[in-house]
Amino acid sequence: MAMRVSYSYLDKQFADPDAILADIRELVGRGDYTLGAAVAEFEARYARMVGVRHAIGVGSGTEALTLALQAVGVRPGDEVVTAPNTFIASVGAIVAAGARPVFVDVNAEHTIDAALIEDALTPRTRALLPVHLSGNPADMPAIVDVARRRGVPVVEDACQAFTAAIDGRAVGTFGEAAGFSLHPLKPLNVWGDAGMIVTDSDALADHLRLRRNHGLRDRNTVEIFGVNSRLDTLQAIVGLHLLDKTVEVTERRIEHARRLDAGLAPLTPRITVPPRRPGIRHAYLTYVVQAQDRDALVRFLIERGVEAKIHYPVPVHLQPAAKDLGYKAGDFPMCERQAREILTLPAHQHLTNDQLDYVVGQVREFYSR
Amino acid sequence: MHRAQTVAVPFVALGLQQRAVKAQLLAAVDRVLEHGQYVLGPEVEEFERRFAALCGTPFAVGMSDGTHALLLALRALGIGPGDEVITAPNSFLASAASIALAGARPVFADVRDDLNLDPERVAAAVTPRTRAIMPVHLTGRPADMERIGAIAQRHGLRIVEDAAQAIGATFHGRPVGGFGAAGCFSLHPLKNLAACGDAGVVTTTDGKVADLLRAARNHGLRGRDDCGAWGYNARLDTIQAAMLNEKLPYLERWTAAKRQIAARYRQALRGVVGVPEDGPGEGAVYQTFVIRADGRDDLQRHLAARGVDSKVHYPTPLHLQEAAADLGYKRGDFPVTERLATEILSLPIYPELTEVQQEAVTDGVLTFYGRRA
Repeated sequence: MAMRVSYSYLDKQFADPDAILADIRELVGRGDYTLGAAVAEFEARYARMVGVRHAIGVGSGTEALTLALQAVGVRPGDEVVTAPNTFIASVGAIVAAGARPVFVDVNAEHTIDAALIEDALTPRTRALLPVHLSGNPADMPAIVDVARRRGVPVVEDACQAFTAAIDGRAVGTFGEAAGFSLHPLKPLNVWGDAGMIVTDSDALADHLRLRRNHGLRDRNTVEIFGVNSRLDTLQAIVGLHLLDKTVEVTERRIEHARRLDAGLAPLTPRITVPPRRPGIRHAYLTYVVQAQDRDALVRFLIERGVEAKIHYPVPVHLQPAAKDLGYKAGDFPMCERQAREILTLPAHQHLTNDQLDYVVGQVREFYSR
Repeated sequence: MHRAQTVAVPFVALGLQQRAVKAQLLAAVDRVLEHGQYVLGPEVEEFERRFAALCGTPFAVGMSDGTHALLLALRALGIGPGDEVITAPNSFLASAASIALAGARPVFADVRDDLNLDPERVAAAVTPRTRAIMPVHLTGRPADMERIGAIAQRHGLRIVEDAAQAIGATFHGRPVGGFGAAGCFSLHPLKNLAACGDAGVVTTTDGKVADLLRAARNHGLRGRDDCGAWGYNARLDTIQAAMLNEKLPYLERWTAAKRQIAARYRQALRGVVGVPEDGPGEGAVYQTFVIRADGRDDLQRHLAARGVDSKVHYPTPLHLQEAAADLGYKRGDFPVTERLATEILSLPIYPELTEVQQEAVTDGVLTFYGRRA
């Protein structure tokens, strides 16, 4: 019996948006669309949830990273170390800050290999940008250890990892600053592009508030040439309605991931479930495993109504945009092998156990043919 | 003394304008929720098509805001480190900031009493490193595109119009936004065509520039997994595009109303203060109505005491801002800009202003100069 298991759930998530629309109706009557009261309230509650002193709402997750990198001192000509298997925006953010991305290969968990970072550092390295890819925390204790030893600031790319944690400590609290995305496909999602920067530093927070709003200290004083990268009041209103629900959303995703893990484990080595370390709260923005004969499996699953995807099929160092950076195929063997094998299966909060079991059943059937 | 009775005239009244279209705006939001395409959904393309038609350009590309519109337009034209771009020092800071953010150097040229770039000063500011001119249609009044265009042509420079304040403005019948390589608009909540949050758009006659802009605003992505050049996230939200589409049909009416108020202000105040005239061929849209006044600060206080809000756009010229310290300018470099900064005052102007409120504004100015009891 065929079933549809879709990847996106946006049509279901806001089936009953009346409470949010009522607040938006009030906003439209009031008109404080730019850095209105809802933004400050959302920032305060967001900061509390992450466990940091400051949250600064910005235009997108990408801009959260660019602004955070600039705030910790990244300038044109500097280098920023990151992972090559990320969404291109991590790297676009580095380039937008005028800096040069330097890649370091990843580990079996698909996050930056902390043991390889030190070799990639040069006198020009001005920041580390570890990525909590797919919601899985990078090895922050080891990364922060290298960073402190070498005096390099850390900006966490937590765009995919809101509510992820290591031993109970939320991602976003390990580096000098962290960037989050509130993009519609994220577990805490608003109705358009939006992002959030968190930091414990009063000075960084002050600088970031300046930088997101044209560098304006007050209405008429321009301290730095900053961008316009403000979180819209309208989107903050949406975010306020969803914030408290996010933990529960992620709990459901974790349950779903465990069910998929258990169902797929017997298929080893055709399917490789990445190591699940104790103490790690993986937020499962995406549920990613490695699969033999991956492309055929993706086609098979799609035929069977399972919306399988690949995040991401082309490593960033092999993108046309990266040609000037001088990398070539073979430079990051782990990342490149994973790019050929990774597979994203639907695991979102609106799926039923029957749907998850159907997904597992289809993968089994593919390999038993 | 019955005249002294106060009529409150706030500088802006966003809620008022929205009220007229509120039901339509909320219905538009609802439609986006139904289809769930919050990122580059169909409403974005619809808005782009309609905005391009408004500006008479073949292409329009929606952006997250006016500053990114300028930044991405400069980058799409290949302007970056080592290049110079000439612009006006009396503009909103985003004009110069976008040049600096692109890695290029803002070079200022002084303006005329009409608050727009003085073509003679522009010509004098050209160096071998100049790559582009960024005329600003400040207050919604078109810059002298004929003479600026001639300078650009003579020196092989690109033109990036900063039309952030000038949606619908025309120069000799042609809409702004189509005079150069790119026209950059802001749709910020205080603009004549205003989103309910930050939004912007770039117009262009060059299909290649349009393609570059579409990729650059979306991470440089040409396909889902193909990144041709590093980009930004600078997308116009679907939800904002949907609401802008609802407002577009009103734009002409709103602009006509503002022009009528401008005409009334002009008639009442001409000869008492400097008023913005409609120069030959100028189709200004009065994003702001800026007078030049002796004793400006006292006038502003006098108006405030009578309940009339006014503002100064902008009291500190860009070359004297802290952010411009590295550019090496000093007081005295742009005498017209610096004088204007002490004279200019923006009076409330929006379609919903009642005649009583308009009279309160003009009476406020006239009483200050002793022209009315």
